[in-house]
Amino acid sequence: MSDAIRVLIVDDEEDFRTNLVKLLGISPNITAEAVGSGEAALEWLAANPCDVVLLDVKMPGLAAHGTLKRIRDGGYPVEVIILTGHASVDDAVELMNLGAFDYLLKPCSTREIVKKVTWAFESHTGKK
Amino acid sequence: MAPTGLLATLKRLFGSAPALSPEQEEELRRLHLERCHNFKLLLAANNRALEVMSDMEEALRGERAFGAGYVREACTRVASEVFAMVRGLTSLAPGRYDGLLPRFRAIQAEINTAVLAAPVPASGPLVRPLADLAAADLDQAGSKLANLGELARALGATIPRGFAVTAAGFARFMSHNDLQAEVDRRIQAADASRLDELYALSSSLQGFIASAPLPPDLEAAIREQAAALSAAAGEGLLLAVRSSAIGEDALGATFAGQYHTELGVEPDEAVQAYREVVAAKYGVTAMTYRLVRGIPDEAVPMCVGVMEMVDAAASGVAYSRDPMRPADGSGGRLLIEAVPGLPKAVVDGSAAVDRFLVDRDPLALARVEAARKEFRYAPSAGAGLDRIPLAPEEAGQPCLDEARVLAVARLALAAEQHFNGPQDLEWAFDPAGRLVLLQCRPLKEAAAEAAAAPPPGPANRDLPVLLAGGVAASPGAGAGEAFAARKDADALRFPPGGVLVVAQALPFWATLLSRAAAVVAERGSAAGHLANVAREYGVPALFGLPGALAGLEGAGLVTVDADGRRVLPGDATRDLPRRERPRNLMLGSPVLALLEGAARHIVPLTLLDPSAPDFAPEGCATLHDVTRYCHEKSVEEMFSQGADLPLPTHAAKRLSVDGRAMQYWVIDLGDGIAGQVEGKAVPLEQIASAPMLALWRGMTAAPWAGPPVDAKGFMSVLAGSASNPDLDPGAASAFAEKNYFMIASDFCSLQSRFGYHFSTVEALIGDEDAGNYLSFRFKGGAADHGRRTRRAEMIAELLEELGFRCETKADALFARMEGYGRQFMEERLAALGHVIVHTRQMDMAMADAAQAGAFKARLLTDITGRLGVRPGP
Repeated sequence: MSDAIRVLIVDDEEDFRTNLVKLLGISPNITAEAVGSGEAALEWLAANPCDVVLLDVKMPGLAAHGTLKRIRDGGYPVEVIILTGHASVDDAVELMNLGAFDYLLKPCSTREIVKKVTWAFESHTGKK
Repeated sequence: MAPTGLLATLKRLFGSAPALSPEQEEELRRLHLERCHNFKLLLAANNRALEVMSDMEEALRGERAFGAGYVREACTRVASEVFAMVRGLTSLAPGRYDGLLPRFRAIQAEINTAVLAAPVPASGPLVRPLADLAAADLDQAGSKLANLGELARALGATIPRGFAVTAAGFARFMSHNDLQAEVDRRIQAADASRLDELYALSSSLQGFIASAPLPPDLEAAIREQAAALSAAAGEGLLLAVRSSAIGEDALGATFAGQYHTELGVEPDEAVQAYREVVAAKYGVTAMTYRLVRGIPDEAVPMCVGVMEMVDAAASGVAYSRDPMRPADGSGGRLLIEAVPGLPKAVVDGSAAVDRFLVDRDPLALARVEAARKEFRYAPSAGAGLDRIPLAPEEAGQPCLDEARVLAVARLALAAEQHFNGPQDLEWAFDPAGRLVLLQCRPLKEAAAEAAAAPPPGPANRDLPVLLAGGVAASPGAGAGEAFAARKDADALRFPPGGVLVVAQALPFWATLLSRAAAVVAERGSAAGHLANVAREYGVPALFGLPGALAGLEGAGLVTVDADGRRVLPGDATRDLPRRERPRNLMLGSPVLALLEGAARHIVPLTLLDPSAPDFAPEGCATLHDVTRYCHEKSVEEMFSQGADLPLPTHAAKRLSVDGRAMQYWVIDLGDGIAGQVEGKAVPLEQIASAPMLALWRGMTAAPWAGPPVDAKGFMSVLAGSASNPDLDPGAASAFAEKNYFMIASDFCSLQSRFGYHFSTVEALIGDEDAGNYLSFRFKGGAADHGRRTRRAEMIAELLEELGFRCETKADALFARMEGYGRQFMEERLAALGHVIVHTRQMDMAMADAAQAGAFKARLLTDITGRLGVRPGP
C-alpha cells in the first residue's frame, strides 16, 4: 500500500488536535487533518477522501453518538476510532455497537494511536 | 460438520462452479484478507483485555493506591476490548454465537451498576489533618499528601504538622459564586491555540481565582487549622503551601509543571496562599499540558497541603533504588542526595550536592561523594527562602554523617516495603536532629527493573538452586514432585500435589492447578489466563523460565520459590523466609469496595474446560469467561471453517525460482509481493511474506528421497485409490494438482496435495507474540486405514516434540501453536515445510510401529540438522 492513511481528527480542543496532527504526521504513512466539531467533520468528509476518523466523545453541538450515526447513515467509507478523556463503560459499548472500531482513552501514547489507526485502515480496506 | 457461516454464504454465492468471475475472485480475496485480519484483531483484543484484568487484580490486592477514576477507566478499557472480541467472533462465524452478545450485555449492565455506585470525593470534609490521612484517601487529598499521612500512621515516620484542603474543599471553592462556570466561560471564549491568547487567558484566570472570595465555611476551616498549627509550633511558624493534584497516577501522566509551592507563608496568610496554589492550576504550562494530553479540566481537582516549614540542618532526596543502576548485581543500591539547609538545590538541580550510595543487604554505607557546596537555604518570612553562604570549612564536608545516612536509608527501605515498590523520598533533619519525611512517591522507572532483578535475602542466599529467573506469575512457594507435561495427554498422569512443568502457560493446564503444588512454564506472562487462575487458587507460579522442562524432568522433589524466582532441589519451603503478604493499602476504603463490586463481574475465570458442556455463552459469568470463550472459539472457527474457503485462484502468479517455474502458485492478499510483477510468474526474490519464505525454506532444504515403497505398501496404495472416491480422478491428476500459497507480509497459507494426502498450513506471524499462530491440518493418504492412521500419529508425535499441540482422529491430524516469538514460530514453520514434503506417500511404509518410529527419527534428524531447528518446545 503506497498511499498514506488519511486520518481526520475531530476534537473541540484545539491544542489537542493540533498536537495530534503533528505527532501523527511524523509517521511516514499517515497524513492527518483536524476539525473542531462533529458538524465540521461531516462537511469535511463530504468534500474529502478519508480512511480513519479519530472522534472525541464530548463536544459542543453534535457529540460522538450523533456524528457517528450520521457518518454511518451518510455511507462514508471510513473507520471511526473514539478517542476520549471520558471513561464510561456504557458509552464505550454503545459507540462500538454503533460501529466504532475502537474506544481509546486519553491520555494515549502516539504509538498506540498509530497502531490502532493502522489496524482500522486494514479493516477498512478489507471491507471496501 | 455442515458448512455454516462464511462458508455457507460462499457456497451459496459461488456454488461449486470452477470458474469464478474476476469480481467473485476479488470478493474471495477480500474475504480471506478480512478473516485473517479479524483474527489478528481478536487476538490483540484478547491480549489487551487480559492485561487490564491482571492490572485490576493487582489493584484489588491493594499493592498500590488508586482512585475511583482508575476503576472507571479499567472497566471501560476491559469492556471495549471484550466487546471487540465478541464482535470479532460473531463476524468470523455469523449466526453461530448469537447467545454471546446478550450474555455480554447482561454482564456489562452489572458492571455499570457497580461503577455508578462510585463514592463522590467532593462530599467529604473540607480539610483534614495530614496525620489522619491514609493512602486510600488519594481521591480526597491527592497521592502526595495521602502517602505522607500513610507513612506517618503505618511506620510512625515523623512528618511536618499540617493539614490538607481536600477535593471536597476545592469543589466547594470552585462552586462558590459559580467560580468554575466563569472559568469555563473564559476558557471557551479564548482561542487557546494562540500563544499570546493563552498567556492572557492564564493570567486572567489566575488573577481571577487568586482574588475570588472563599466560601465562609472553607475559609473558617482553613483559618482554624492554621491557628491550631501556630499554637502547636509556637512563635515564628512559617508554612509551606503546596499542591497535591489528583489523577497523577491513575492517568499515567506526570503533570509536569503542574505543581506549585508557596514557601515562607505566615499562618494568617494561609487562605491567600491556598488561593494562589489553586490558581496555579491555570498556569500556562499546566493548562497546555492538560490540553495537549487530552486530560479534561474537571478530572484534576486541586488538593492543597498546608504544612509547617521545617528549618532543616540538612535535607535532600532518597531513592530506595539508584535510578541509574536499579539492578547492578548489588540487589539495587540506595542513592541519597543531600545538602545543608533546605533541599532546594537537590530538587531543582541548581547546585552541587553530596551523594551517598548505600548497600541494602546488609545495610551499609558504600560510597560517599562529597561536593563543594557554597550556600544553604533557610526559611524566610515572605521571601520563602534565604540563601546563606557556607563557611569554607563546611563547604567541602559531607553534610550527613554515617548514622544519618543510614537513618534515611532505613526510612526509604521501610517506605519501599510498605508501598510494594521503589520510592523517591524527600526528607530533612530538623535542628533537633529529628528525621522528617517531606514527601514520598513511587519511583516508576526503577520498579520494572527491580522486579526483574535477582532477589536478595540473607536467610536463603546459601541454598542450592536448580534454576533461576522468570517472573513470579503467582506469589508464594510450593514443593512437590516435578512433572514435565509435554502434551495434553500427559495431564491424565499428573500426580496430585506435583509441580507442573510445561513449555507454555496455556489455559489448558488450568484444570490441573487445583491439584498442583506449584506451576512452572518456560513461556508465559503474568497477565495470561493460567497466571490468573494460579493466583485465584493460590498456587505459586513461575513463568518465563527457559530450560525448565529439560532442567526439571526427573528432578524428583523440588521447591518452586516464585517470590525468589527460582527452583530449589528437595522441599525447601521451611528454609525460605516467610513471605510477608503485602498489606492492602486500600483496605476498608470505599474505592476498593467500588473496584471489588465491578471486578467481581470481570476478573474471575470460571469457564475452564473447553470440552465441558457449560463451555457455552450461557456459561459465561464474567468478562474473563467471555474472553476465554471467544479466544477458544475463534481459533476453532479460524481453523475449521476458514481453511475450507475456496481460493481466489484467478489472480494467482506462478512461483519461479532461478527462472524455473515451480508447481506452486501465489495469491497475494495485499502486501505479500514486493514491487510490480510482470507477466504470469513471480520470482521468489519478490516474495515479501516472511512466513512463506520460512515455510519454503523448510520445503526445499532437503530433496525428497522419493516414496519409500515396499511391495505390500504399493498394493495398499492401489487398493486405497480404488476404494477412495476422493482419488477417483486418478493418480496422474492428483500428482499434477496445483498448490497455492496465499500470502500477506505477516500471513501465509499453503493448501496442497502431496501425493494422496491433503494438507493446509496457516501462519500469522507479526510483531506481537500474542497474535502469532501456526496451524497444520493433514488428512488422507492412499494406503490402507491402519497405515494412514499410523502416519498421522507418527507426525503428531514428531510435532509434539517440536512444541505443537496436536489432535488426531483416525488419519486426520490437527496441530497448532500460538503465542511464541517470531524467530521461534518461523523455525517451526520451516519444520512443517519439511514435514509436508517428506511425508508424502510415507503411509505406504507404515506397516508397523517400528517403521513409523524409524521414520520419525530420520525426520527429526533432518529438521534439527539441515534446518537448524532446535528440538523441544
